[in-house]
Amino acid sequence: MDSTTVEKIIKEIGKFAPSAESEHTGRVTAVGDGVVAIDGLSKAVLSEIVVFEEGKGKKLAEGMGAQAELYGLILNLEEDGVRATILGDTARVSEGMTVKSTGKILSVPSSEELLGRVVNAMGEPQDGKGPFKKTTLMPIERQAAGVIDRKGVSVPLSTGTKAIDAMIPIGRGQRELIIGDRGTGKTTVAIDAIINQKYETEATRPICIYVAIGQKESKTARIAQQLREQGAMDYTIIVDAPASAPAALQYLAPFAGVAIGEYFMDQGKDVLIVYDDLSKQATAYRQLSLLLRRPPGREAYPGDVFYLHSRLLERSCRLSEEKGGGSITALPIIETQEGDVSGYIPTNVISITDGQMFLVTDLFNKGIRPAIDVGISVSRVGSAAQTKAMKGVAGGIKLELAQFRELEAFMQFASDLDKATADRIESGRRMVEVLKQKNGAPLPLERQVAALYAAGHAFFLDVPVNKVTEVEAAFVDFLDGQYSKTLAAIKKTGQLSEDAKKELNKGMEEFKLAHAELFSSK
Amino acid sequence: MEPKKAVAAIRERLVALGRGELLPRIARAFSRVAQREMQRNGLVLTLAREKDARVAHKEAKKFLDGMGASAKDLTTRIDETQIGGWRLEGREHLIDASYKKHLIELYRHATNTV
Repeated sequence: MDSTTVEKIIKEIGKFAPSAESEHTGRVTAVGDGVVAIDGLSKAVLSEIVVFEEGKGKKLAEGMGAQAELYGLILNLEEDGVRATILGDTARVSEGMTVKSTGKILSVPSSEELLGRVVNAMGEPQDGKGPFKKTTLMPIERQAAGVIDRKGVSVPLSTGTKAIDAMIPIGRGQRELIIGDRGTGKTTVAIDAIINQKYETEATRPICIYVAIGQKESKTARIAQQLREQGAMDYTIIVDAPASAPAALQYLAPFAGVAIGEYFMDQGKDVLIVYDDLSKQATAYRQLSLLLRRPPGREAYPGDVFYLHSRLLERSCRLSEEKGGGSITALPIIETQEGDVSGYIPTNVISITDGQMFLVTDLFNKGIRPAIDVGISVSRVGSAAQTKAMKGVAGGIKLELAQFRELEAFMQFASDLDKATADRIESGRRMVEVLKQKNGAPLPLERQVAALYAAGHAFFLDVPVNKVTEVEAAFVDFLDGQYSKTLAAIKKTGQLSEDAKKELNKGMEEFKLAHAELFSSK
Repeated sequence: MEPKKAVAAIRERLVALGRGELLPRIARAFSRVAQREMQRNGLVLTLAREKDARVAHKEAKKFLDGMGASAKDLTTRIDETQIGGWRLEGREHLIDASYKKHLIELYRHATNTV
């Protein structure tokens, strides 16, 4: 740079008159545990974002060296000030610090650019792939759609898990709770549902959002890796508020997730959102509420913990055609302690959702995976969305399994069984085997229909119980190769026509002839 | 009641109750309240250099009316880290016309940290 240019720059700087605007401010009077008491900010509103001014009294280099701006969220409006939670590192806030009002309600950026990315509860990228270029800000708190703007649940959302799609079907816009003790496969069921969406056509494939609340970073990284390997990350967004994140971010993460989902729903798209898990969000909210000195209620949760979950889950819905016809399907997860579903948070969320699937430790330990207890699992609105093909083959499974469980319990005391009872038990055992599924291997609808059709027609009765899963997989692969047109027709129409049934019967016969050695249990 | 008499009356009463030791604590609490009130109602004009005072006072005057204050309410301080410009703070308002603020904003925009 020559001296003339330098002189010019110096001259320009000399003429520089910084613009000045009045900002509404307050001052930090106390800080601790992620919560600050602020004196002033008398015009602040609830859920408003404030900025902590860190650079005061520091040299320019230090101000530039600092990380991105530190934000706070106003949660309490009090007589002589406000209380806010710090959305970042508490250590960066000190007493006497100036806090600036922004006049903005907390929002998260949302756009198609977020697909395949991992973001935090503020919508900031966490995967090192750089900032987003063009986004729309979506408010974290938004009133759920009203009655007029909604439509009934009638379009199925296939999870790829036979036990769910057959007995606890889920429709687009539904809220289906996944509940169970730790280590029972709750996350796996939800992740399989996300992976299964890859079998949908691009036009019908929902955008998937996985919200990790209070989870280990290693678990979230493993899930992201699994989704990437399965090709599911292309249509998935991960909102991560790990266990190491401040309680405020863990409390906000589900709202950030649904706000991102609403961006797509408003465009008429379908969204599938998994909240993993809401028990941890409730715990984070309890921590925050106690620090904000809100009165504790049952189990020390604040009085509005029900509203916390109801206002979140009410935002999942199916919009009317006038509103674009988009939907948000929610799969909230709740972790129980020792199978106790009568706890405060589990009962709250059970009452809010449109059904629940219980995962049981005993079944899991017996090797029945997914360990869904179909007897107490229910889908209140999903049956209206179930495809005719699935309805046709899954009609009697729930009853058959319920009878089998009863007989199985009775069998432990009785040694002599009549033939009808023995047959029912044998059939039940095989049905349980058919419903077993491997982790990360969701099955497309047409293959599920074929497997369940075969099971319902005593196809596996001559197969040894421990071989049923293997034979079922081989049979479905056989159909995929030899009867691909029939499976394609089931997928396309969602119906099991008489012709398709004939073809499946033919396929069953051919498979039996070709693999006679597999059918020799008796 | 005059402040002096009021303080004497409180002191007498506390001593009579055997609580005379509380007096220094009460004084400190009053001092904190006074400091807080001053922070709330006081107005501080911070400059980077003494020589900027005239321009800064002139510029700040535009905002003082809106804050229900006058030039005599101002306390002037020097903070070299501001580099240039001025900064008026108090009564829930902040008007930051310092060079440092603008340079940091420029840096943040350039480095995408905003």
